[in-house]
Amino acid sequence: MTFQQAAEAHLDDVYGYLAWFTSDRFAAEDLTAVTFERALRLWHRFDPERGSARTWLCQIARTVALDHFRSERRRARREEIAAPREQVEPRFGEGLSPDLESALARLSAGEREVVALRVLLDLDAGTAARVLGISPTNCTTRLNRALRKLEEALHVAA
Amino acid sequence: MSQRDLVAELRAARVEAPPEVRERVRLIAAAAPDPRRRLTWRRAFVVAVPVAAAVAASIVFTRPSHHEQTATPLGRVANAPATVRTTPAGAATKELAVPSAKQRVQIVGTTLSLRTRRVSDGVKRAVRIVTSLGGYPVSVHAQTAGKEATADLTLKVPRNHVQQAMSRLAQLGTIVAENVDVQDRTASLNATDRTIARLQKRLAELRAANAPKEQIAALTRRIQALQRSEAATRRAAHYATIDLHLETPRAAAPVHRGHGPLHGIGVAFRYIGIGAAYAFAIGGPAIVLLVLVWLAVRLVRRRREEALLSR
Repeated sequence: MTFQQAAEAHLDDVYGYLAWFTSDRFAAEDLTAVTFERALRLWHRFDPERGSARTWLCQIARTVALDHFRSERRRARREEIAAPREQVEPRFGEGLSPDLESALARLSAGEREVVALRVLLDLDAGTAARVLGISPTNCTTRLNRALRKLEEALHVAA
Repeated sequence: MSQRDLVAELRAARVEAPPEVRERVRLIAAAAPDPRRRLTWRRAFVVAVPVAAAVAASIVFTRPSHHEQTATPLGRVANAPATVRTTPAGAATKELAVPSAKQRVQIVGTTLSLRTRRVSDGVKRAVRIVTSLGGYPVSVHAQTAGKEATADLTLKVPRNHVQQAMSRLAQLGTIVAENVDVQDRTASLNATDRTIARLQKRLAELRAANAPKEQIAALTRRIQALQRSEAATRRAAHYATIDLHLETPRAAAPVHRGHGPLHGIGVAFRYIGIGAAYAFAIGGPAIVLLVLVWLAVRLVRRRREEALLSR
């Protein structure tokens, strides 16, 4: 598999994962580009026998997103006194009800991340756990907790 | 809404990258170089193992064996006692040739070491050989201790029979060492002859001149001393001295058969094991410390990451 093939096949997955993870589609667009730039630099290290290209790209995307969160936190501290940054209305994709979009937006980034990996990208517990750097059991626990919170949020909205 | 419906709705969401992102990624991917044949661990292993095996085999099979290494020193030891000419151990049929020059005055001394199972018989036969050739034994020392016996004989043989004597004595056993020492005294005897002639001429002159008796007597004594010395040298040169050493064979030393072809590998593994033990003793605590530090760093990083993602 060439890099072009991998990029074409998994672009939507990476973008979707980042969009749900950051809950900011504009940031997700930039981070997707950064992810593929970094992936291109590291492509010589990719070993198909150790995992799929999608898993490998998601791991890079996660590192990129964490860097983004850290820089955002530093920026927020610096600009605490200044005017707050314009909040982008979260939009997680076509076909979701407004209530569900709102409930997803209320989840923490960590919870949205595990939902994106397990539900949106339909990764199995082991693969998702490897992307997250945790155990499969921990991954499943996090998913259940996130789904329960979503359920509660939808119940309250109803 | 049940959790199953919730998951179904989440899975129904269509998330597609916008065309601008798609175009950016397409441009990034277009910059990707052509796929190259990468050196993976497996490929490196497949190449490295035969190369290492070939190197190890060449070292093991080209290494000289222990037996070959010890062969040369043994030869040196056998040659060591030689002063003039010496035969190596075991050369029973090739005794040294004693140079013969009957018209010259030479002091010949030989040493012969033999190994025989019956030392006492050897002594008797050596004496018989020497006597039959017109010689005589000067000294015989024999001793026995357990199964080992030795004998040292000093034999005198007429110089013109020394070659024959050496040949016959060499047949008494296996030659361990042999040495021939020849000192030519012809030149010094000629000088002595000239001196005597000169002194005798001087003596005749003194007698003709009716010199004092004391002076004539002193010169006469000196001439007689020189003549005695010359005669002693000629007598010594008439007989060759043979120092014969007889000994029983030594107890057989355990035969060292050398090492097999895998000995090198065994030695290598032994040193690797020693190195590993040292590495474990020294590096073990360091590794434990590093692991603890790594775990602590990992824990801190994970806590920070969770804090970051909890918002």
